Amino acid sequence: MRSRQDNIRNFCIVAHIDHGKSTLADRLLEATGTVAKRDLTEQLLDSMDLERERGITIKLTPTRMKYTFEGQEYILNLIDTPGHVDFTYEVSRSLAACEGAILIVDAGQGVEAQTLANVHLALDNNLEILPVINKIDLPSAEPEKVKQEIEDVIGIPAMHAPCISAKEGINILDVLEGIIREFPAPKGDETAPLKCLVFDSYYDNFKGAICLVRVFDGSVKKGDKIMFMQTGKQFEVTEVGYFVPKPQECSELLAGEVGYIAASIKKVSEAKVGDTITSAVVPAKEALPGYKQVQPVVFSGIFPVDGSKFGELKDALEKLKLNDSSLEYQAENSIALGFGFRCGFLGLLHMEIIQERLEREFNLDIITTAPSVNYHIYKTNGDMIEVSNPSNLPEPSLIARMEEPYVIMHIFTPPEYMGSIMELCTERRGENLDVDYLDEKRVRLDYSIPLNEIIYDFFDSLKSRTRGYASLDYELSEYKESKLVKLDILLKGEVCDALSLIVHQDKAYERGKIMAEKLKEVIPRQMFEVPIQAAVGGKIIARETVKAFRKDVLAKCYGGDITRKRKLLEKQKEGKKKMRSIGSVEVPSDAFVSILKID
Amino acid sequence: MENKSGISLYVHIPFCVSKCTYCSFCSFVPHDDEMAKYLQNLIKEIELVGKKIRKSVFSIYIGGGTPSVLPLGAISQIVEMIKKCFDVLPNVSITIEANPNSINLDKAQEYYACGIRRVSIGLQSASSAVLKTLNRAHNWADFENAIKIVRSVGFEDINADIMLGVPNQSMSDVVDTLEKVIALPITHVSAYGLILEEKTPLLDKVQSGEIALPSEDETVDMYDYVVDTLSKNGFFRYEISNFAKVGFESIHNNNYWARGEFIGVGLNAYSFLDGEHYQNTNNFHAYCKKLSENHLPKEQEEKENPITAQNETIMLALRTTRGLNISKFNKKFGVDFCKKFRNTIDKLIKNDLIVLEKGFLRIKNLYISNSIIVEFFE
Repeated sequence: MRSRQDNIRNFCIVAHIDHGKSTLADRLLEATGTVAKRDLTEQLLDSMDLERERGITIKLTPTRMKYTFEGQEYILNLIDTPGHVDFTYEVSRSLAACEGAILIVDAGQGVEAQTLANVHLALDNNLEILPVINKIDLPSAEPEKVKQEIEDVIGIPAMHAPCISAKEGINILDVLEGIIREFPAPKGDETAPLKCLVFDSYYDNFKGAICLVRVFDGSVKKGDKIMFMQTGKQFEVTEVGYFVPKPQECSELLAGEVGYIAASIKKVSEAKVGDTITSAVVPAKEALPGYKQVQPVVFSGIFPVDGSKFGELKDALEKLKLNDSSLEYQAENSIALGFGFRCGFLGLLHMEIIQERLEREFNLDIITTAPSVNYHIYKTNGDMIEVSNPSNLPEPSLIARMEEPYVIMHIFTPPEYMGSIMELCTERRGENLDVDYLDEKRVRLDYSIPLNEIIYDFFDSLKSRTRGYASLDYELSEYKESKLVKLDILLKGEVCDALSLIVHQDKAYERGKIMAEKLKEVIPRQMFEVPIQAAVGGKIIARETVKAFRKDVLAKCYGGDITRKRKLLEKQKEGKKKMRSIGSVEVPSDAFVSILKID
Repeated sequence: MENKSGISLYVHIPFCVSKCTYCSFCSFVPHDDEMAKYLQNLIKEIELVGKKIRKSVFSIYIGGGTPSVLPLGAISQIVEMIKKCFDVLPNVSITIEANPNSINLDKAQEYYACGIRRVSIGLQSASSAVLKTLNRAHNWADFENAIKIVRSVGFEDINADIMLGVPNQSMSDVVDTLEKVIALPITHVSAYGLILEEKTPLLDKVQSGEIALPSEDETVDMYDYVVDTLSKNGFFRYEISNFAKVGFESIHNNNYWARGEFIGVGLNAYSFLDGEHYQNTNNFHAYCKKLSENHLPKEQEEKENPITAQNETIMLALRTTRGLNISKFNKKFGVDFCKKFRNTIDKLIKNDLIVLEKGFLRIKNLYISNSIIVEFFE
């Protein structure tokens, strides 16, 4: 006899960015009748404006679909995953809730950097992989060649992969059939004590923290007493349900199913992602293997442009953290910028997204300081400290040696851009490890490169040098000793801590010169001359000057001019709020961002 | 100069013989009987306003436009009406604005006879090319002649307006203008930087690239020269754009900078009285109609609040070379100015931009007054 679980499939879709993941997800919703075509806004699962605009998926959304195949009704749970390298961590979270992964490969572009990275993640999680060749409607499509490439480069069988066009809706049913045939059904024990994996959470103003869960064993319903095995916290379930893709309450979630649990949990930190939920009455003996807490790799300071908005910034970060457990922050005090936060991000994109959300969703004007990585500083007294904020770097005399993080970077590119990419990587202190010709059209370059060299504008440089044809992925590898120095910027003789950087000593001069030149462009003329200096260890290595302006008034002011003039000056005062005073120098808030672009 | 119980009175005459290209004031070239009609209603307004005001008038300023375009007899009629309806102090200072080519001996005699003792004449420049750019209807000889006339009837307090930073103006034009001006019996100079106002022909021409303004450096050099030359010739700078020989400061304008009360009558005239700002309509017909129905043509009333009052006080005082009287300010607004702006004051003193001495705060580099004033705004 078929068990209930035999008709369940839990799967995700992995792909390189732009290979059509969200579009296929939409087609599946449509083909299964989960969402009527007329209700389908493009890329339904990307709910944030930011996601739709940038064509990226940031948050996970699990969706339950029903599909009848060969007389049997199946429940298909699609767990969407982020595509970008920064969100590898979130990908692995959703993988842990699945038995299978659809691997989409673009029929024109073939295997790309993130294709490979995601496949490895899926294989590490023992998932069954179903390759799908997408975009076969494009003139450049070469599905047979791509199948061969999947077999050669990834080493998984691909000859029977469905060839589809998600955009045009071609062969979508083949994918559904593949899901049912290829992916194993869940094999949970419904009678065992409850075991749910929390693979994501978000905050609902009315229901509290909502846990997105995969039930492995047992069952859970409203009124049950549950316990988080890591934290030991207990709650009473107020609602269970699943997503279609809007939340839909149901009576019970059973082993093998995917859905959500609400339990009046006040803080998201009490519903830790990766934790196991069990029954508080009959607890499971051991938790499911969680996944390690993600470590931020890129750090930067975020400050309100208007110093009095510190409280608002704090509230905003708290709210963002509710739905993004990978965001880390702690209060910091900059001499130049006052009170703000030192934030840790999964990568540059993550950082940009947080900045944009603070500005858009919370309407805050913020200043972001140059991103930094986490350095290991070995002091002369034998201590090792971690420093991600240049201001915290000890005096050079107290430092025995320093180490910086390196990554292994894989770049996939058409061969004609190789020279240009290698030049870029060499400029950025990269060491070439391997060059692999995948076919006559594509090469894989492997580099060992300091993380600090790719966090400023490496992606942009790569994109412009390869007209967008190259793709990139990296993973942290090791810490290596390095000759690092602190580069300071002085405005009118005063060090501006918010502009300090830790750089390799061979780069200090060039970088200092560029920063001084950039600052000269962005700092407006003021009441007095503003010398801009770049310095390493007290030694000035570059200098520029913003000349004082000579006049701003020679007009008369009588009678009716008075109120008009006062209002004009009040407006001018208002405009100054977009500036930050550093010492006596006024710096526009966007200066901090614009000087990061070096190319 | 502030007169605690008194007010100053401004009378607006919105007529000109031609419209200058930079002018955004309420003025126009009159048709047919518009002058007579205006005069009639202005007299009415003076009567209506005068009935309500109990404060003494210590200064009257008849400006425009060009008051001297009014026909003979009109100005004395206005002055007599003011004296009749207001409590005008016996030592009142009365100024009239005039254009070089609209004043004549008869009018000058009339002005002097009705008690006007100060005359302000718009010269702008001695250069015919600059005057042409500005569409001024006179030349240097007209100005020289006008000075001769007003002196001949007894005027001793004479102001000349000059303008700097005008398209086509060069340093040598400014040198020439100044040399000529200081050779004449003039007691006061107002030297303004040209401001391009919205909806003026000059702005259009500059925006279209037809003509170009002198650079910031050139304009400041011109102004430096003016400040220098005037001071060498006994004019001291008492406000950003005003220079006077000893004893000839403008009483009327000093009242503005002390944020004293004033009443304006006439089209579009502005008043500040009892903590309220208001302005007359700028529509000629509406102005006449209202007054013919015995209503005041007031509009755009705005109550002051402590912040705007503080900002204005600071803004106006810091335009003068005497500066802001700190103890007076503290008393008036119940604050400790120096404590409140300690960091700003320190910063500006350090950069040699302001001076704090003998209880006054004053700006050292008046060219950038706006930026400095803003530092003290709430």
